[in-house]
Amino acid sequence: MALWFPRLATDRLQRRAKPPPSDAPPLVVVAKVDNALRLSAVDRKATALGLAIGQPLANARAMLPALKVVAANEPDDLKLLTRIADWCDRFTPHVALDGPRGLLLDVTGASHLFGGEQALLNKILESLRAQGFAVRGAMAGTAIAARAFARYRDGAVIEPGEEAEMIAPLPVAALNLDHITTHAFRRAGLKTVGQVASRKRAELTARFGASMVATLDQALGHGAQPLSPRLPLPDYWKEQGFAEPVATEEVIRATLKTLASALSKVLEQRGEGARRLEAVFFRADGAVRRLAIDMGVSTRAPAVIERLFREKLDTLADPLDPGFGFDLIRLSASRVERAPCEVADFDASINEKADIGFLVDRLATRFGSRRILAFQPNDTHIPEAAWAAVPAQYVQASKLPWKKIREPGDAPRRPLRLFARPEPVTLLTTLEGAQHLRWRKVQHAVAQCEGPERIAMEWWRHETPQPTRDYFRVEDGEGRRYWLYRAGVPPQWFLHGVFA
Amino acid sequence: MNAYAEIAVTTNYSFLRGASHPGELVQRAADLRHAAIGMADRNTLAGIVRAYAALQAVKENKPKLLVGARLVFVDGTPDILAYPTDRAAYGRLCRLLSAGKLRAPKGECHLALDDLLKWQEGLLLAVMAPHPSQKERVDEPPQNFWNKNLAKKDEEVGELPDEIHASAPQVSFREIQSLLENLLRAAPGRVWLGVSMPHKGDDRRRLGEWQRVAHAAKVPLLATNDVLYHCPKRRELQDVVTCIREHVTLNEAGWRLEANAERHLKSSDEMAKLFKEAPDAIAETIRFASRITFSLDQLKYNYPDEPIPKGKTAQEHLEEISWQGAAWRYKGVIPDRVRATLEKELALIARMDIAPYFLTVHDIVSYAKGEGILCQGRGSAANSAVCYVLGITAVDPMQIDLLFERFISEERKEPPDIDVDFEHERREEVIQHVYKRYGLHNAALTATVICYRPRSAIRETGKVFGLTEDVTASLASGVWGSWGSELKDAQVRQGRLDPANPMIARAVEAANELIGFPRHLSQHVGGFVLTRDRLDEIVPVGPATMEDRHFIEWDKEDIDTLRLMKVDVLALGMLTCIRKAFDLIRIHKGESFDLANVKREIEEVYEMLQKADAIGVFQVESRAQMSMLPRLKPENFYDLVIEVAIVRPGPIQGGMVHPYLRRRSGVEKVDYPSPAPEHGEKDELFDVLNKTLGVPLFQEQAMKLAIVAAKFTPDEANGLRRAMATFRNVGTIDNFKGKFIGGMVRRGYEQEFAERCFRQIEGFGSYGFPESHAASFAHLVYISAWIKKFHPDAFACALLNSQPMGFYAPAEIVRDAREHGVEVRHVDVNFSDWDNTLEPCEGGLALRLGFRQVSGFREEWAKTLLSSRANGYRAVSEVARRVRLPKRAFIILAEADSFQSISMDRREILWAVRRIADDDALPLFAAQHVEEQTEEEITPLPLMPLSEHVLADYQMLRLSLRAHLMFFLRGLFRSEGVWDCAEISAAKDGTPASCAGIVLVRQMPGDAGVVFITLSDEAGIANVVVWPKLVETFRREIMGGRLLLVEGRVQRSPEGVVHLVAERIFDRSHELERLSEDVTEAPSFRSQAAKHRHPRNVRTVPKSRDFH
Repeated sequence: MALWFPRLATDRLQRRAKPPPSDAPPLVVVAKVDNALRLSAVDRKATALGLAIGQPLANARAMLPALKVVAANEPDDLKLLTRIADWCDRFTPHVALDGPRGLLLDVTGASHLFGGEQALLNKILESLRAQGFAVRGAMAGTAIAARAFARYRDGAVIEPGEEAEMIAPLPVAALNLDHITTHAFRRAGLKTVGQVASRKRAELTARFGASMVATLDQALGHGAQPLSPRLPLPDYWKEQGFAEPVATEEVIRATLKTLASALSKVLEQRGEGARRLEAVFFRADGAVRRLAIDMGVSTRAPAVIERLFREKLDTLADPLDPGFGFDLIRLSASRVERAPCEVADFDASINEKADIGFLVDRLATRFGSRRILAFQPNDTHIPEAAWAAVPAQYVQASKLPWKKIREPGDAPRRPLRLFARPEPVTLLTTLEGAQHLRWRKVQHAVAQCEGPERIAMEWWRHETPQPTRDYFRVEDGEGRRYWLYRAGVPPQWFLHGVFA
Repeated sequence: MNAYAEIAVTTNYSFLRGASHPGELVQRAADLRHAAIGMADRNTLAGIVRAYAALQAVKENKPKLLVGARLVFVDGTPDILAYPTDRAAYGRLCRLLSAGKLRAPKGECHLALDDLLKWQEGLLLAVMAPHPSQKERVDEPPQNFWNKNLAKKDEEVGELPDEIHASAPQVSFREIQSLLENLLRAAPGRVWLGVSMPHKGDDRRRLGEWQRVAHAAKVPLLATNDVLYHCPKRRELQDVVTCIREHVTLNEAGWRLEANAERHLKSSDEMAKLFKEAPDAIAETIRFASRITFSLDQLKYNYPDEPIPKGKTAQEHLEEISWQGAAWRYKGVIPDRVRATLEKELALIARMDIAPYFLTVHDIVSYAKGEGILCQGRGSAANSAVCYVLGITAVDPMQIDLLFERFISEERKEPPDIDVDFEHERREEVIQHVYKRYGLHNAALTATVICYRPRSAIRETGKVFGLTEDVTASLASGVWGSWGSELKDAQVRQGRLDPANPMIARAVEAANELIGFPRHLSQHVGGFVLTRDRLDEIVPVGPATMEDRHFIEWDKEDIDTLRLMKVDVLALGMLTCIRKAFDLIRIHKGESFDLANVKREIEEVYEMLQKADAIGVFQVESRAQMSMLPRLKPENFYDLVIEVAIVRPGPIQGGMVHPYLRRRSGVEKVDYPSPAPEHGEKDELFDVLNKTLGVPLFQEQAMKLAIVAAKFTPDEANGLRRAMATFRNVGTIDNFKGKFIGGMVRRGYEQEFAERCFRQIEGFGSYGFPESHAASFAHLVYISAWIKKFHPDAFACALLNSQPMGFYAPAEIVRDAREHGVEVRHVDVNFSDWDNTLEPCEGGLALRLGFRQVSGFREEWAKTLLSSRANGYRAVSEVARRVRLPKRAFIILAEADSFQSISMDRREILWAVRRIADDDALPLFAAQHVEEQTEEEITPLPLMPLSEHVLADYQMLRLSLRAHLMFFLRGLFRSEGVWDCAEISAAKDGTPASCAGIVLVRQMPGDAGVVFITLSDEAGIANVVVWPKLVETFRREIMGGRLLLVEGRVQRSPEGVVHLVAERIFDRSHELERLSEDVTEAPSFRSQAAKHRHPRNVRTVPKSRDFH
């Protein structure tokens, strides 16, 4: 059986808004081809208004200024297609991805469960359509034939042996050959599959090669092309099935441990480490539970993996409910990155770093990654925005270094402690001319002062212009140092931090 | 007062660093009463002339303009400002910058400290004290000097020392001190330490340190503010350009931006306050400025003396060859009038001392003539008797009485301006000659300053503000044509975006400010500056894209400002076409023609033009021109001059077209606007306007109006002319507007007339067309029309061989040729050449299409095919055996049906060539492979229907000799009551009618919103007008349709110009798909079909030419 989703990209975007409001603008998806933005998918409305795939965006816009344009996201399209394939798993285990917008299902021996081939096909098409997909499908003896019928005879179920006859009137394009060959046939006047099939095989082989002839034969229902099994979405996975569903914690843990070391072996062979691990528990009654763990540094050590999962299982808010037991447990690794086998290093600092990383991961697994924070530099002049506290697990991945704004031997330019909110202070000049600083109701005599360091606010972020600040480093009689700034008209003074 | 001079000013000619125009900075310095302003852009003098020009306009408190450059080194040396004290030192600075540029890739300049030491004589040097947090990112170290060879050739350029530091080392106080000491040794008394107060918190402390360093090194401290913009407000734009330069958005830019808005020009008081610990540093700026005696006035231009024989002055030589030329032009009998004019002109030339200029142009033109390259001069001085007799132009000044003095103003002392057009395919030879003749050091191309236009500005700022590419694209696409000076709200709305959205509003605001900012320098297409002295001592020269080419840092305007001489060596496609046509006529008909000996004023030529039969004719083939021709009915040469000039933005915007036409047809009386009696002669405008029936049409007339009617001084008129040229950049034209209109109205002219005249001047701003240019072009109009009239075969052939050029696609040219009785023959392996050719046929010559018309075919394939042709090919297999071409070539030939002389069915040949072995067959067997294939018996393929033949022709050749696509649909449309184009053309005014055709051209001229569509069918062409109201309704059809059905009403003007005014429009492009489907019962899913189609297949119809 072949399924074809002609509007996969736009369906993906529109499915959420169900049903799409009738006055929504036509939607197109664009991608850059040869340096020009061209339409790579168009929705039903846009098609009706005369837009077609391959058209330059500028052209389409000239036709329809009120066009909703979204950049193509092929990974997401593929992900969606994979999800549809997942869903199709319920009809047959043999589902293969077919190009960017198609699926092939081997339903041999499965259709009787659903009331026959036509009923199965109708059921699949109907429920996919109900989910908001434009889909065409057909069933035939070979994949190639099914694919051709899906495009040109939607909903057809071709009985074995009838392919040749049924496919004959379809246009050559139904063979899904490369465009040069298709063009050659059309130009030669062989515009239908039947006309092509009527030529001698030798004649065709001499011109287009043996593989084209093989495709043709399959389309006519001869021979069969094995389905290439669908690639799993995770980069690596290991799973263990159980004849008898398992329910005890010990078995689950033991299984995870075995899977972890198996997975680790694969990762090691490839010289890679995972940043994300996922354990999937398939319950015998069909429910699926997924547990995912993110890590700050890529890892593949089975002990680490095992320990992280153990902590995760321990801290689950709603414990894993085995019900009648799991019949399959799968451990998969995604977001893998290169992690060459490291030679044991005697440099303590590196080990320390790894230890900290592990500690962060453990803490994060236990308390949630949003609770374990670390400072990360931000590239801006604005002092209070120059850093951010972000989940510690992600900090290590950031490439931005801390800005070095101070030369060796220079005085510190930023205070050790920066106040969350600048505190208003008053500056007083005594009769003798000495300056005093009143902060939190306490008066400090100003002994020394340096500045100003003038920092203008980021004008593009604010609707109304923000006052520029003049920062001063101030030392009082007791040697305490303050970081003050003056801003606004008339100037107001604030204490923004203290040095040591 | 004048207690301060800013020495360190960066303008926007330090591309994407400075954020103010030189003029703004000069004006601001004057407002602040600075004693001097020192312009020092990064390794360039590109903006200095603009500053100089701006200075002339400053009314009060002119600061002294110091010409200098900020030297930025690749070897880690901190920036040094270099200011020449005198002319000689200026020459050295130019040499220094040239050296740096010549060894660097285009647009960069690689300098090392050693270079400076070599050229430092006479330069004042101010080392800019670096600030640690201000440290600029050092550009990637140069990987390889592609201009190494060039550098080697020129010993003075020299090579960079090998040890260039990868990045700037941390420069310490100590190192600066030793640098100062080293410099001081080389340049005693000419070294300063430049310090600024950037408000970094530790300014005072650092100032103290620098004072100590300066003292220790015994150099004075120089106060600067290291200025990047003229006023604090420009900080925003400075941030934007920084982001553009660094390819980041504002949010990502962070420390790449300046922390505050302090780097603007500050008043002397403010500066004094900042430097209160070092008052000497402030006073030093004045001392620094007073040391400089150089100003751009001192640049004296000298003409190259190449063409002048020894022992003669230029003037003597010019007079001699002029009289010789006159004798040749007038076959020995020089008419008295010519003699008088020549004498007058030569006297004027002598007075202005510009004889060498004419000699230089003559020299270049003579070279081209010797090589058989067609050329023609135009420009203010071109339509002089001197130029005619020297052979620079072919427009007989006796024929159209142009006054030479009118174009050369003695007061202004400006050098004359002659542009010479050459055949576009052979201009390169002329350029090579110029370099050879005048030498690399004395000849260089001028620059073109590439400025931000609305489209590029919004695209760049959009990126900076983080708008998505889509939003930016739609903002940019809202800008119809890229000549407007501002992005208007309406344009934002046209892109269906809300101008009130703060980000978009900010981006648009920044884009508006950015418009007119220079972005980079590029070489001018053909403007040459030639000198006797070394050019690189007048202006820095840099390498151009082509090796061994140089271009200077100044553009045409700068050259004008400084009154240097330039010759424009331009390319003109029509000249190529005319030469090719002349060649064909000579070869096939044995008659020899050149631009000057084609017989003039032949009535049939004008009759042809009056009928708007002008496809392919120079200049007048555009739609607008074609509809003007029957109205204007040109009868003589001067009518052509007007024809060329009248369909231009100037006269159209000025509303001058219709008054002129009415007067010409006698509907309106010719009169001359006149001032109130007390203000002057009643017919003061008669002299200005009498040639154009009292309606100003040419640029000069508008200028003259300003002088005569609005009483502008010649200087002011000149300023107006300049403002027109730079209209897009600066809003200066508004200053003139009041004066112009006010001046005329005050003197009693009608307000409405004055306003129209001014609108016209504004129109000229975008595309000025002076009479002299129009005259030169009109000459080519005549020549090309003459060829078309009497040698349509050669004309069509030459036109096709000169593509791409002109307005029409090959299909239209071929169709026009056939309508004029030329037999056109299909491409054929046995007869065609790469170019289109003429071959004898019954009753004359037939046009044989060449392989160049076949898309995808290559010239070298054609050569191979020709060289093995011998007595012709008799079978496809024979071709394949004898000619070693890739399989693709055979397939293309077969697709294009070029085996017709072998006489086999197109499909069968296609089927046969597919059998040829692939190219990647083992080389050992490749040779035998073809021969070893046994003959195969194949059942016949289905016959190709004619409609598919035509479609295939269009796909391969973009034209078909068999039939028009519409021919196959005629039955269908006939049944719907649709007319063909011929019927539309013949219809009476006001008849309701509908017409269907393939879209040839869509145009939306100006901002009016009217769309013109040209439809084509088997019977001819129909011109459709869509009024703005309808454009919105049928936008989709108009923009997307390839085959349109238009319902409307015929509009016929008294002169017989017919338009179909659209009322309803239908997109019937899908009908075209019928033509290729001969299996109609197959269901087709359109989007899918499109995806799987061969790209060539999608282009079922020639692409229309849209909105140029």
